[in-house]
Amino acid sequence: MKVFRYLIKRLLIALITLYIIATATFFLLALTPGDALSARVEKLPDQVTERLYEKYGLDKPVMERYLITMKGLLHGDFGESIIYEGQTVQDIIAEKGPVSARLGLQQMILGVGVGLLLGILAAVKKGKFWDYFVVVLAILLISVPNLIFALLLQMVFAARLKWFPVIGWPSAGQWFSGWKYTVLPTLAGCFGYIAAYSRLLKASMLDVMNQDYVLTAESKGLTHREVILHHVLRNSMIPIITRLPMTVAMCITGSFFIESVFSIPGLGLYYVNAVAAQDVPIVMGETVIIAALYIFVVFITDILYTIVDPRIRISGGKR
Amino acid sequence: MSDKLLKVDNLRVSYHTYAGEVQAVRGVSFELDEGETLALVGESGCGKSVTARSLMRLNKVPPAEIKAESRVLFQGENIYDFDQNRLRRYRGQDAAMIFQDAMAALNPTMTIGKQVAETLLHHQALSKKAAREQVRQLLQQVGISEPERRLRQYPHELSGGMRQRVMIAIAFANQPRLLIADEPTTALDVTIQAQIIDLMKQLQQIHKTAVIMITHDLGVVANLAQRIAVMYAGTIVERGSSREIFYHPRHPYTNMLLEAVPRLDQPEDKELASIAGTPPDLLNPPPGCPFCSRCRYCMDICLKQRPPVYQFEPDHQADCWLYALEKPAEDAPFTRRDDHE
Ligand SMILES: Nc1ncnc2c1ncn2[C@@H]1O[C@H](COP(=O)(O)OP(=O)(O)OP(=O)(O)O)[C@@H](O)[C@H]1O
Ligand code: SF4
Ligand SMILES: [Mg+2]
Repeated sequence: MKVFRYLIKRLLIALITLYIIATATFFLLALTPGDALSARVEKLPDQVTERLYEKYGLDKPVMERYLITMKGLLHGDFGESIIYEGQTVQDIIAEKGPVSARLGLQQMILGVGVGLLLGILAAVKKGKFWDYFVVVLAILLISVPNLIFALLLQMVFAARLKWFPVIGWPSAGQWFSGWKYTVLPTLAGCFGYIAAYSRLLKASMLDVMNQDYVLTAESKGLTHREVILHHVLRNSMIPIITRLPMTVAMCITGSFFIESVFSIPGLGLYYVNAVAAQDVPIVMGETVIIAALYIFVVFITDILYTIVDPRIRISGGKR
Repeated sequence: MSDKLLKVDNLRVSYHTYAGEVQAVRGVSFELDEGETLALVGESGCGKSVTARSLMRLNKVPPAEIKAESRVLFQGENIYDFDQNRLRRYRGQDAAMIFQDAMAALNPTMTIGKQVAETLLHHQALSKKAAREQVRQLLQQVGISEPERRLRQYPHELSGGMRQRVMIAIAFANQPRLLIADEPTTALDVTIQAQIIDLMKQLQQIHKTAVIMITHDLGVVANLAQRIAVMYAGTIVERGSSREIFYHPRHPYTNMLLEAVPRLDQPEDKELASIAGTPPDLLNPPPGCPFCSRCRYCMDICLKQRPPVYQFEPDHQADCWLYALEKPAEDAPFTRRDDHE
């Protein structure tokens, strides 16, 4: 019962958040001078221009357009793209979404995984060579922009060594056989996570290692390994989980650059183009979907919390 | 010497901090027989916990430094010479430790059943099932009702007293020869305190465990310890049988501690004497008697030279110039109200 009420509450909050985000996006776009058609219609006769404006409903007053858009969103209908003629927003998302999702997931799994391993290494070897190695590596990875890494990787591993293609992405039928295309973009995008997560886990582990219960564990005669695995790690993961939503946000914004550098036909590239061209339906559609994804991740994070930390229960906070 | 269970000889521990070297323990020596209870008593910050941790080799080095001449002999062997294997057998099997704050000393994300089982499984060849059964029995032994349900719970779901009982179960799991209890009841309220002390006493008698009971409250150890060592500023200033310490305290500091113990026969209107002043800075300890800044009998020599050990009864010593100078000084300048005892 408690859980049910909690879920309803979360759902309501999510819907309100989405509504606010959609509204804000709509009016920001509406307030920007010009519209999606202004460039295209410059050299067209007035009659054609009028018909085009009519077709996309851009001749109607702002409030009416707002209502139409919101009604569409309510039905899950995002409308038709203006700059990519004849394609509905749903089509575009269905086609490009999986590409971006794959890239993002690969980057996150690799980056977070390697980051956590390095974090453990640095904490366990504190004050020794590997600790300093990880610290320096993290500083390096965080201070060099992803874009530079992308270009470097292209130069070394694609142009010079020819191990991987410079640009491109496996087409729909070759999810697995085209893996070579995904290597460099995945690498280029994972460094930020490595830097962030190695530092985060190291700090968290060092903090946990100073807790009394680690002393208790040692006083039982457990091996160093057992102490780390059974007592330190799980408790160190609690603050790490907080960062999960941040990571997904990083992934979404990061992908815009990576996708353009490697010419990957993902959502990021379309999103950037759509904003520049004021293609309201695409921008609205993607914004709402990305926001929904983010809200979902925050929700999953809360659930993970209750799994890792028994002191936290779904309806209440920490005791 | 091999008949002693534990022999601590000139234990010196420093912490290296940004401010300098904190000399937390400055030459502590004592011995402990099988099955005996020794109380280590002193104010906050006098080095009791650092001493306790040193007996298990639990001080983190660095920042801690165990001075080279320090010896902690367990059954004649220096634990600081143990290799990792021997050390792990020593911890948890030969010796166990109970901490002041059981909430902090138990892992918040592990069920208490697992936390007890862990120490069993590590030191004994047991199946998971057998270990679980032993955990159940242990919890029952330390007075936890419904052990079957409790062992699936997490520390935060238990009361403070219960948590300390769990710690005791962990400590006694492998029937250690030596138990170090660092203020095990300080965080608990008075009734629970008494229960926990009783429980420890009872288990100690069953298993013939030697106990080092650390406390800042002499009242707690009155009928628990055979011997008492009084610690001040990283050193033991007086040691002796409980009876001697309680009825014939020799060191002015011990006397002050005794004055601070609440007494049942005390007139209601008389205020508890609290100890005025603060202990010396261990970053820069005084060259003479560490107690001189607070001692009512302080003399010139006390400021300059560390007081010698003065022997009273065969098993009663105090480090104080009062007795060394006024030979033959059998009597303390202060007397206890119940000296007729
Ligand atoms: N990790 C550390 N780093 C620096 N100094 C320390 C450290 N641990 C202990 N000390 C110092 O050692 C001295 C003794 O501390 P200890 O914890 O042994 O006192 P205690 O007698 O147990 O007091 P309490 O009754 O408060 O537990 C203190 O002055 C303290 O500042
Ligand atoms: S040595 Fe001197 S200062 Fe120290 S306790 Fe004895 S009388 Fe007091
Ligand atoms: Mg202490």
